[in-house]
Amino acid sequence: MIASVFKVATRVRHSVAAAAVAASLLGGCAVNDTGAAEVWDPIETPNRFVFSINRAVDVMAIRPIAVIYRDWVPEPAQKSVRNLLDNLGEPVVAINEVFQGDPSRAATTMARFLVNSTIGLAGLFDIATMLGLPRTKTDAGQTIGMWAGKGVEPENGGFYLVLPLAGPSNARDATGLMIDYAIDPFQILPIAFNWDWFYYSVPRYGLNVIDYRSRTMFALDDIEKNSVDYYAALRSAYTQNRADLIRAKRDKTDTKGELERRDNLALVR
Amino acid sequence: MPLLACRRLAFRLAAGAAAALVAMPALANDPAADLVSATAAQAIDIIKTTTGAQRQAAIQQVLQTRFDLPYMAQTALGTHWAKASPEQQARFVKATETAEAKAYAERFGQYAGQTLTIGKTLSRPNNVWIVDSRLNQTNGQPIKLEWEVRQLPAGLRITDVKIEGVSMVMTRRSDFNSYIQQNGGKVQPLIDELESRAAR
Repeated sequence: MIASVFKVATRVRHSVAAAAVAASLLGGCAVNDTGAAEVWDPIETPNRFVFSINRAVDVMAIRPIAVIYRDWVPEPAQKSVRNLLDNLGEPVVAINEVFQGDPSRAATTMARFLVNSTIGLAGLFDIATMLGLPRTKTDAGQTIGMWAGKGVEPENGGFYLVLPLAGPSNARDATGLMIDYAIDPFQILPIAFNWDWFYYSVPRYGLNVIDYRSRTMFALDDIEKNSVDYYAALRSAYTQNRADLIRAKRDKTDTKGELERRDNLALVR
Repeated sequence: MPLLACRRLAFRLAAGAAAALVAMPALANDPAADLVSATAAQAIDIIKTTTGAQRQAAIQQVLQTRFDLPYMAQTALGTHWAKASPEQQARFVKATETAEAKAYAERFGQYAGQTLTIGKTLSRPNNVWIVDSRLNQTNGQPIKLEWEVRQLPAGLRITDVKIEGVSMVMTRRSDFNSYIQQNGGKVQPLIDELESRAAR
């Protein structure tokens, strides 16, 4: 009797915990969210700790390499590297576009992938754009944000999270990152065929990091220089930028939601 | 006959009204968009003709005449604005103004022939307009820029710039709020920090 009560209690506790996790993944504090509130950051202390480590690694290794890459590697080579990496990411983009309810866009992305992988020499050249198939980029974080409840502001991506090496994220986008990793054919194939990850995954992610860092150099330097609390400024900028992308997905023409948010901000002020 | 003339007149009037309606959007000037394009033109002119401290001074002057800096500063300080004394408020506005001028002077230092394409303007209640625009880069994707314009007694003023969805004022607000909270909820340490940065 006591044992069964205990069992029920454990089960209830488990389901409550699961519900809490699910709620936070779908965007925690949705009630009365005027959007004017600060970014929800319940684990700020560990976040700041990871942030400082990331920054140290960045200052010592990643940023200098990215500067050399940006200034010394010829522009066409940089462009080809970017094309190659983007092309490898194209299947994930297409899958996400299907789940975002845009199969025609997904078809275009797949067409891009086929054209660039063949005529474009394994993606080194973006022939598809020349053929009138423009590139779109999206990820599972945006897919989750798009389908989160109507009352959930895109600014609300659950708790804020600083990932080691990857940097600013939140519950929503980190979940998206894991989904993107799991559905990536170029992640599944090497495992299936037992390719050596050292010769495949390491160069891919290494190049991705350097390419991404070289492109965000100007924006990040600007935020760092012009803020009194870099962590807080970046947290805000990241959240706003992601929200903007999701808002564009949710509603292609109506910007009412965002403007109402600004009106609310004016009220709190 | 009079009936016909009347009809003809009515038709002419209708045609005239229709023509006027069609011409309206083209003729009606959009003061908010004009402000943004004039500001951009002025900024490009400054970049081309000035350097160093002179450039910073010129940009500060543009900020003072085209932007509503006290309003932006007030929004950036959020709920802490009311807690600050009038003297603190004045010093804060002054310090943020210098910081903005410095930041823009530096940003413009990277200028490499980008152009600004003004898009549609969205009108809002309370005399607010959102002007959509694209910053076309020489290489790479265009950057999305949105300008918030407000009607003030003195005229139209820009009150916020959003770059790829990132509002300058909102980011400052978050930044300042966090700094104030880390310094015991007081505004003075923030003002001191901003002033020491401005003096640098």
